[in-house]
Amino acid sequence: MSDHDIPERDEDEVLAGEYALGLLPPDERAAFESRLSQDPELRALVARWQEDFAGLTEDIAPVAPPARVLPALEAQIFGPEQGAGRAGHGLWRLLAGAAAACVLIVALAVVTGVLDTGPTRPGDPAYVAEVAAEDESLLVEAAFDAEDGTLYVDRRRGGPRPGRALELWLIAGDDAPVSLGVLPDDPEAELPVSPDLRDRLAGGTLAISDEPPGGSPTGAPTGDVLAVGQITDS
Amino acid sequence: MATPEEIESLLSRVATGDRGAFRQLYRHTSAKLFGIALRILSDRAEAEDALQDIFVKVWDNAGRYQANGLSPMTWLITLARNHAIDRLRRRRAGQGGLDEAAELADDRPGPEGQVMRTAQRDRLVACFEELEAARAEAVRRAYLQGETYADLAERFEVPLNTMRTWLRRSLLKLRECLSR
Repeated sequence: MSDHDIPERDEDEVLAGEYALGLLPPDERAAFESRLSQDPELRALVARWQEDFAGLTEDIAPVAPPARVLPALEAQIFGPEQGAGRAGHGLWRLLAGAAAACVLIVALAVVTGVLDTGPTRPGDPAYVAEVAAEDESLLVEAAFDAEDGTLYVDRRRGGPRPGRALELWLIAGDDAPVSLGVLPDDPEAELPVSPDLRDRLAGGTLAISDEPPGGSPTGAPTGDVLAVGQITDS
Repeated sequence: MATPEEIESLLSRVATGDRGAFRQLYRHTSAKLFGIALRILSDRAEAEDALQDIFVKVWDNAGRYQANGLSPMTWLITLARNHAIDRLRRRRAGQGGLDEAAELADDRPGPEGQVMRTAQRDRLVACFEELEAARAEAVRRAYLQGETYADLAERFEVPLNTMRTWLRRSLLKLRECLSR
């Protein structure tokens, strides 16, 4: 564009602004882009405009996206198995029903009988949860030891279906369930919690699903959700 | 809202394929980017689709954001804005795509880009106010509504070349003001 009012030295500045706004006609845009790839100074001009124009979005209030977006997104990026897309929805649906029942469950008394060896309930857990089936046919107490980053679990009632396994999941906020591990045959166990998950226990929900031996092959719950429980401060 | 340093650190981890970091980045930034997509697209369902696409791009391109202490949010906002505008233009008419076009600059701006966001915004508002109201509106519409020179010429009822001359001069004035 010839514009005699704009000095030559400012031409790139203006072009960079037009480019950042997306205003350049296709032929000029292509020409500008081929220069852009060669010219760091030109890229710096574009970046500065982008920085400035981004200020126009500061008045735009953040809006929390619906919870379904993240699982769909993860399914798209990581593949349907990893994304918890389909199974995740099943879990959510079941969870909604189970949540009401969950409220009715009265917290159990402190675990009795501390063993000399093997898993022991932390003396001063940071968080606790009662993960219970609606009919209480399955009941697992969980207590998180913040010091060594392990989740102590005690299966106090019920067990896996024949030839099946129980898998424990953390549901933090609107995120897709994250596996905390398969519950072993022994009623009591200590499950290590990875550092990035530890911060997310607070306010989260634990859930137990019915899975094939060894746990879900997909990284997301595949079977029935058998029990749920809110994580609370101890 | 996480600090720029936290966002930058998450972006660099996402660039290495860290899924946990990706989820954290989503948690920290999705509301802002969704707000922007909603504002531009004015359609919740489409903004949702857009947000998903935006974060796929974040995942794919995080390595192109070079951490150097300068506003990672600008990188994310620009990516979100360009994608939303691209959708809007496609919806309006078979306009050329902006997504592939206005690629994010690899270089970050100079030290002036480091000023506090609010101070930056105040300066921007002040500089927009130095423009004639209609010309400031034209720049805003180009950025937030993705209006093209043809759209703007029609809106302001001037020939296309006149519109472009206006806008180019406005950009120059803006730059002069912002550089003061």
